[in-house]
Amino acid sequence: MIKTRGLTKRFGDVFAVDNLSLDVAEGEVFGLLGPNGAGKTTTVRLLTCLIAPTAGEAWVNGHRVGEEDMAIRQCVGILTEAPGLYERLNAEQNLTLYAKLYGVNDVGGQVQKYLDMLGLWERRTEPVGSFSKGMKQKLAIARALIHEPRVLFLDEPTSALDPEAAKLVRDFILEVKGEGRTIFLCTHNLDEADRLCDRIAVMRQHLIQVDTPAGLRQSLYGRKVVLQLQEISQAVLSTVRALPFVHQAQEEDRKLIVSLDDPEAQNPILVRHVVEAGGAVQFLTEQRHSLEEVYFTLMREEGETLSAGQEAPR
Amino acid sequence: MNARLWAIMEKEWLEMRRNKMVLITMALIPILLVGLVLGTTFFMQRMPESEVIGNDAPPIPPQLQNLDPKTAFIIMMNDQYMFYFMLIPMTLPVYMAAYSIIGEKETKSLEPLLATPIATWELLTGKSIAAVTPAVALTWLSFAVMAVGARFIATDAVFLALVRPVWLAGMAVLSPLFACLSVLSGVIASSRLNDPRAAQQLTGIFIVPVIALSLAVLAGKIFVDVQVVLYSAMVLVLINLLVLYFAVKLFQRETILTRWK
Ligand SMILES: Nc1ncnc2c1ncn2[C@@H]1O[C@H](COP(=O)(O)OP(=O)(O)OP(=O)(O)O)[C@@H](O)[C@H]1O
Ligand SMILES: [Mg+2]
Repeated sequence: MIKTRGLTKRFGDVFAVDNLSLDVAEGEVFGLLGPNGAGKTTTVRLLTCLIAPTAGEAWVNGHRVGEEDMAIRQCVGILTEAPGLYERLNAEQNLTLYAKLYGVNDVGGQVQKYLDMLGLWERRTEPVGSFSKGMKQKLAIARALIHEPRVLFLDEPTSALDPEAAKLVRDFILEVKGEGRTIFLCTHNLDEADRLCDRIAVMRQHLIQVDTPAGLRQSLYGRKVVLQLQEISQAVLSTVRALPFVHQAQEEDRKLIVSLDDPEAQNPILVRHVVEAGGAVQFLTEQRHSLEEVYFTLMREEGETLSAGQEAPR
Repeated sequence: MNARLWAIMEKEWLEMRRNKMVLITMALIPILLVGLVLGTTFFMQRMPESEVIGNDAPPIPPQLQNLDPKTAFIIMMNDQYMFYFMLIPMTLPVYMAAYSIIGEKETKSLEPLLATPIATWELLTGKSIAAVTPAVALTWLSFAVMAVGARFIATDAVFLALVRPVWLAGMAVLSPLFACLSVLSGVIASSRLNDPRAAQQLTGIFIVPVIALSLAVLAGKIFVDVQVVLYSAMVLVLINLLVLYFAVKLFQRETILTRWK
């Protein structure tokens, strides 16, 4: 659905996006993570044909960026960093304008559909300036959807919102996700990325890593299970360490942290051996790394390779 | 007509209607001018000829020599005002056009707008027409009000001079052309400047020659006729095309979005 190859954007001497290659599948919710200034907004602007790439190529819905811009604009919707609504106009007028700009057939019907969906039909004649931030954000997303685009770009949809408004917007995104659209989501909210996205790309000018949230965790930490025992005896420890599929087993308080590849298949064997060795199992859980830990680990590694790269010429 | 162009115009007009200040400022100048023309005519007609003309009477152009000096002078006076009438559509749209782009940059509504499949020319034309039409309509309306008022206040000679073909042609052709020129300058200014007021000052360049012409008329140096109006219209069309060329060249979506500080 979206494909980029060596996509690069330079502002003067600054590389905002550097040699970015991504593939986003149809119907996928694809998250773009990265610190401030990582080039997320620039990437979205490139893919929505708002700015032209310095180098590299990109395709959206089969259309080539820079060659079929009008076709791309017609089939994508975008929520920009700032909602950018016309605050003097009311909700209906805001949506109507965009419905017409996108050449929607049934303007009135589409506008009503989304006003209903947002629960705004009763308030459709109030100026948008009087709406809450969360409401404005939802209206801006509805505006991006008014022409039923195949691809939806969302640039930080929940930043600057309080938790309640953020939840409103997130639920709305989940609703939209259910309709089978491809969603490209830039966010700083790792928890949100974890919950909404099928795959996540971490970038800082260039691509650092891309995978499913679970895949990111696994590639960084492998999978680990935590066995809580009444008491950890030497016999239990050596039995576990002797198992062929166990990469590592560590003792922490009364917990045994075991690294292995396939807990679903290997846990029953593990538990049987522990019990046979006289261990009294109280709890067995998978150790969950928050996406935040994953993110910080990636960023730290990135910083190390960067500084290593800088030292190289000396 | 092009649906996207219409959509932009509609939106601009809706926003204008919600902006009382713009409407009030827009109506102010025409009301003053109508008052000025009718008031001057009314009082001068009642004053003795010696007071109206004074000691250093300007030369009367040949076209008016068959009239009595007082009437001739009132006509010259009104002719001068008529130039200001044609300037009405010049003063306001520039601000509105510049504001409509600079304002959208400020409220960040330009970015989602540029992400729609709208062509640059559609956006600029829509905004320009939206700014030109109320100004021209207002000018024509105030001209009509003035003509009706003059029918009652002024002598026949003065009234007929006001609605003679020169000024009808001027209103019909020159006013919209001045308005276009003004709007296009506003568009140019807005893609480079961040202050609509600065954009407004830009039209000063175009206003100066018109004022100069009006003073020449008052001094009796020239007497405008339809031919002068048509020549001016041709010159204006050329200037408009030139300015349009620059407007489209200078308005670059990417630059406006990214070099905006
Ligand atoms: N118009 C511009 N002119 C010059 N530099 C720019 C411009 N836009 C972005 N940049 C630079 O490009 C880099 C990436 O910016 P971008 O806005 O894409 O980052 P971002 O990931 O969206 O950040 P944030 O999380 O703050 O929104 C930054 O270093 C920024 O300073
Ligand atoms: Mg950003």
